[in-house]
Amino acid sequence: MTQATAVYLVLTDEWTISPFFNVLSSRLGGDADLLEDDAILRLVEKARAGDRAAGERLYRQHVDRVFRTVRSILRSDMDAEEVTQEAMLTVLISLDRYAPRTGTRFVAWVMTIAVNTARRRFRRKRPEAADPSDLSRIPDDATDLDQDVDRERKRQALLGALAQLDRREREIVSLRYGSELDATEIARMLALEPANVRKILERARTRLAARIEILLGQGV
Amino acid sequence: MNDTELAGTWAALEPTTAQRRRMQARVQWWLDAHGSSLISEWLGLLKINPIVSLSLATAAAGLLLIATPLSWVAFSVL
Repeated sequence: MTQATAVYLVLTDEWTISPFFNVLSSRLGGDADLLEDDAILRLVEKARAGDRAAGERLYRQHVDRVFRTVRSILRSDMDAEEVTQEAMLTVLISLDRYAPRTGTRFVAWVMTIAVNTARRRFRRKRPEAADPSDLSRIPDDATDLDQDVDRERKRQALLGALAQLDRREREIVSLRYGSELDATEIARMLALEPANVRKILERARTRLAARIEILLGQGV
Repeated sequence: MNDTELAGTWAALEPTTAQRRRMQARVQWWLDAHGSSLISEWLGLLKINPIVSLSLATAAAGLLLIATPLSWVAFSVL
């Protein structure tokens, strides 16, 4: 039984949230405009009280950020998809466990769940050789071809460069750039000193940027 | 490449429409499939048909009690 299942079983009938997602079929993207922390907290409170639209909005606000982050930690799109859905499910059914403390934003709590889920996946399935090409990726229907090609070049360069970093460095840069967390939040999540996080981040950033430029120059 | 440009490259990792659709469908499927707790399922059944549900519960408990030593004996014989 997964953690998500175990958590869900203790919930009462009043907290059935599946209808949140009935509305989602017409709106498949993450929200383009990210809400401020206060607005997110209000959504959390509403969702806890059973507001379907609030739960749906929380999903949309975080799903892309979770995917971006776990995709840069894991080695394949398929793993990232599975980890994202498992993490988002855990978030939605565990909202009662979120206790906002000073300096702990909701997004940091979400990312803690996402990173822990990704780590479990990483342990279960040893990473195969880095696979930045991942040909199974299907481009968006509505975007223009040049934009797709450019985005794919950047994506492959980034994934190729991330493969050069060790797991800890990948987690730190992913949380910084994928989740947009600051060094203090990352340090709290990973049980490190903020100064240590800044040091690792600076070192990884330099290597990453240099490698991306090389890969983009080579036409990947 | 400066910090802002590096941060911008992460946008290339966003999920495609197809990936979003798959993730949303699986999340929705899971939530639909687990729309109520096991206890409430049993209580609901008890409300609809108390005799059958109590019989089923007794049979399930009895089966568990019998099956455990039986399977142990079967494995040790084999």
